[in-house]
Amino acid sequence: MQRITKAMQTTRSRPRSNHLELAQRILSVVRSGGFRLGDRLAEQQIASLCNVSRTPVRAAMRLLADQGVLTWQRDAGYALAIDPSGTVEAAADLPSADEDRLAESILRDRAARRLDETVTASSLSRRYGKDRRAVLKSLRVLENENWIDKAPGQSWLFRAAQDGPEALAESYDYRLLLEPAALLEAGFKLDEGRAAAMRFGMEAQLASPEVSFEVREFQRLDLEFHGMVARGASNRFIGEAILHHLKLRRLPGALHSVNVFRLKQSTREHLAILDQLEARQFDAAADLMRVHLRLSRSQRPQAASRGAPVLPAGARPSERTGERSSR
Amino acid sequence: MMVRASPIVALFPEASFGAALNCIGIAQALRERGARPVFICHPGFTGLFADYGFPEHPLPAGGGGEKPDTWLDFVSRHLPHFNLSPLEQLDSYVGPTWDAIVDTAIAVEAPLRQLLARLKPDAVVLDNVVMFPALAASGIPWVRMISCAETELPDAGVPPYLSGIAADDPSRRLFEKRYLKAVAPAHERFNRFRAGVGLAALPQGLFLEESPWLNLLLTPQIVRRERAIPLDPERFIYLEGCVRREGPFELPEFPSGGGPLVYLGFGSLGASDVALIERMIATFAAYPARFIVNVGGFRDAYRAVPDNVYLDAWFPQPSVVAKCDLFIHHGGNNSFCEALYFGVPSLVLPYCWDGHDNAQRAVETGVGLRLDRSRWTPAELTSAIASLIGDRPLRSRLADNAAMMAARSGTAHAADAIVALMTRQSPA
Repeated sequence: MQRITKAMQTTRSRPRSNHLELAQRILSVVRSGGFRLGDRLAEQQIASLCNVSRTPVRAAMRLLADQGVLTWQRDAGYALAIDPSGTVEAAADLPSADEDRLAESILRDRAARRLDETVTASSLSRRYGKDRRAVLKSLRVLENENWIDKAPGQSWLFRAAQDGPEALAESYDYRLLLEPAALLEAGFKLDEGRAAAMRFGMEAQLASPEVSFEVREFQRLDLEFHGMVARGASNRFIGEAILHHLKLRRLPGALHSVNVFRLKQSTREHLAILDQLEARQFDAAADLMRVHLRLSRSQRPQAASRGAPVLPAGARPSERTGERSSR
Repeated sequence: MMVRASPIVALFPEASFGAALNCIGIAQALRERGARPVFICHPGFTGLFADYGFPEHPLPAGGGGEKPDTWLDFVSRHLPHFNLSPLEQLDSYVGPTWDAIVDTAIAVEAPLRQLLARLKPDAVVLDNVVMFPALAASGIPWVRMISCAETELPDAGVPPYLSGIAADDPSRRLFEKRYLKAVAPAHERFNRFRAGVGLAALPQGLFLEESPWLNLLLTPQIVRRERAIPLDPERFIYLEGCVRREGPFELPEFPSGGGPLVYLGFGSLGASDVALIERMIATFAAYPARFIVNVGGFRDAYRAVPDNVYLDAWFPQPSVVAKCDLFIHHGGNNSFCEALYFGVPSLVLPYCWDGHDNAQRAVETGVGLRLDRSRWTPAELTSAIASLIGDRPLRSRLADNAAMMAARSGTAHAADAIVALMTRQSPA
């Protein structure tokens, strides 16, 4: 139960079902493979035993580390943190892929406007061919992640998502207020272990060629990085507000409009902020955070055509010329 | 002038996505060759080029006859025009658009002159439909990028620009006469402006001269026309399209299951025609295929979208087209070239400008079909989709052509020609 609570507190996106399935297989391999508490689990070895590539193994092992089943150290990698006899219980504690899958489907269909702003459990039950209990479980997962609210009566109401240029611009403006403030409050605490793990992942992403760049992995590291900033804030209200807001960034398609060059540049900006945090230069880190968020806020024009006026995405009429000159 | 070890190439696209993204493709190839591409751009496009790693130099937005309070004003004013024939659009859309383009050229003259003096680029790539006298006066070698259909360069063997008719159409003379009349006020004003800054007047109907250095055309061979007077191969290079590299596109999951994949993208302006797209989506609902629909900033205008349709505000278009079996578009030249580059047939519903010309050419060359955007029935739409998806000989022909286009990368060819121009340092 403790492990579940811990998993729910994290801002990391809900695990993908294939990673969950692979995590189950890894636990089975651990049980049957004679591993002992404290044994090292090399990614390559586990990938071979599970007959898959290293990339999904990495995600599944990270998931198990989140659950407290594995530990991770920069130099040593993953090691078994529980007695192999506990892997059955650990497997049962993994989040259910079914309800998560249904929650993902609901989100996907809302993003594609297949679902209206207001839904009921009965209508979702009919649509997805699931019983009402399963649907309610998924709705609660979404409620917990701030995607949806219970409305009076039988209805559920989707919250405004960051799926339009204006909402996205407002989101960046909000984060520009909060995230530098989190770093500037006296008493900011860097989770050095998490920072080291993130640095490892970001450097690996920077080293990968453009054609094989993993956008989903970027998205995961990005959320984890900004979540770490939130959790380090000494002002708990600032930290909670950031965490709460970050959950809304997982909408399918939210990163589609960004090309790989910018994602790599953004990763370099994350690393530069980390450098300053590790050096305890919080003022400089906050300044770099502002630059990072401003550059990320920059968006494509909403519409343009030969001879027609250009309106930048997210701009209000009064902002058309002035606001953007600050960048 | 000495050429720097790492020469600066200033790319100057007009304020449209087609030209901007086309130039990004060339800039990526120039960067790989050691050049330093920078962008001169409309301020509304700031950030777009930086996202691909290129420095930006925004110019003032310029005047322009169109000053709507919001895009909705613009859209509500112009949407009805898009349902008119090319001939009818001359007075309602083409004339006013040329007016706005001339306004822009006049407004940026002084800042452009200052910027070029400061930047001192080794070459400028002008992807526009109008000349900027500051560029001509600078003495800097400049490249004309013809990113519209090749009808932009008049010839007796090609149809009139923006007409959407065949070269030998009997209405040709009428269109040409009406075109010259519609653009005359803008043209006269532009020539007066040119005279004021010491530049010779251009012949009737023309707003941009050929570059004495280098002229690049996108038109792939498969849709190229035979000209009465062939273009000088020393100064005119056909690029076989000019498709940029985009980030990966992960295919969304469709609750409806599988089936052929169709992409619908009408460009940023075309996405404003929500009623048309809604009507098309209603037809798609009953068709056994998966449809990816670009709705621009209008996502909230849609509801009850069917399970075989996935819509979003933006897609990395080349990466999407690469995975599709059919591309439904507006005939924008980049879209048309991307369809050909990836061996995908086109269903063209043009709404303005050279979209009409590309729709006509798609039909003439058999690489696609055309539908009138305001006059189609669901049966006609599904019949067009089915015939293009099911035409195996066409797919095979397009695949062969795509392989040829990929082997002759337009972006690489353009970059090589620009690098050679900077080495040559004299007009061709």
